[in-house]
Amino acid sequence: MIFVHLFIEFFKIGLFSFGGGYATIPFLYHISQVYNWYSLDELTQMVAVASITPGPVGINVATYAGLKSAGILGSALATVSEMLPSLFLVIIVSKLLRKFSDNFYVKSLIETLKPISCALLTSVAIGLFTPEIKDLKAMILLGFLLLISWKSKRDPLFYILFAALVGVVLVFFKIV
Amino acid sequence: MSKKISLVKLFLIFVKIGAILLGGGYVILPIMMNEFSDKRALVSHDDVIDYFALSQSLPGIIAANMSMFIGYKLHGKWGAVIAMAGVTFIPFWCIVLLASVIGSLTENSYVQGALWGVGVSVIALIMLTVREMWQKSKRGIFFYSIFILTLATLLIFKLSPIQTILLFSVLGVGYKRIREGRKI
Repeated sequence: MIFVHLFIEFFKIGLFSFGGGYATIPFLYHISQVYNWYSLDELTQMVAVASITPGPVGINVATYAGLKSAGILGSALATVSEMLPSLFLVIIVSKLLRKFSDNFYVKSLIETLKPISCALLTSVAIGLFTPEIKDLKAMILLGFLLLISWKSKRDPLFYILFAALVGVVLVFFKIV
Repeated sequence: MSKKISLVKLFLIFVKIGAILLGGGYVILPIMMNEFSDKRALVSHDDVIDYFALSQSLPGIIAANMSMFIGYKLHGKWGAVIAMAGVTFIPFWCIVLLASVIGSLTENSYVQGALWGVGVSVIALIMLTVREMWQKSKRGIFFYSIFILTLATLLIFKLSPIQTILLFSVLGVGYKRIREGRKI
């Protein structure tokens, strides 16, 4: 039964997430609340691991979530289910390449999905804020990370490795 | 559909791409150009750029969409399937291996410190992604209204992402249809 749920949930992610790997986080957040396959703490850990291992973040995090939910079969199923909608869409769009991008409904849908995706991700940032940013130290680190990317966003790898290093240093000097 | 490359070779190229793809999905464009245009002249620069733009406007993972577009162009349906299998091959095993050791590491206080930092960085990454999506969009009254309505609905009613997307897509597209209708 869990495999049916896994297939449906990750197929939905593949069909409805817009804007790259991190746009899948709202769906994974929703899954953690509905199914209890993994906790919120595990979700941030999954996102981090997915960002520092090779491959697209959105696929990696699906592989990890599937693994947490139902072992290695689950991870294979989650990975494939998330990409399946893209497979169909890519084939369809390749066949009608020109017509697709000029279509009124396609254009308005894409324009509508942008603010929706922004709002979805914002609500996740709000939902994860209190569990992750528990004290002044975390607040300062977050402020610093945002400050150094004021002009341009760096590679995700940079933020994760830098913040992990700060955490290790804090433990070393017994500040935590 | 050109068949200048065998399925096995295509698979191996995508395995390599999956292995060197690190960080954000945006490095995929130069990687694909290098592999398919510059080294092998299988797909033109213009086509690669087209696929990149299309991949961003389709749902799903950008890098996976783009791999499948190129796979499809070179070998039809099976090319797309092979691209999908190839690009996830190494990342899949990396995750499985790393996940199996990470559990036993979390007892260590340094690892706990690192994970604390990682939790903070994920929040920063999510906030920066929102800012990036925000900056890349054409923002007018339409954008702000949909954004505020969607966020308010999510915070008050706890709808699932799918319900939210369906509800506001219908509203947004419907609104555009009516406005368009009035103009004509």
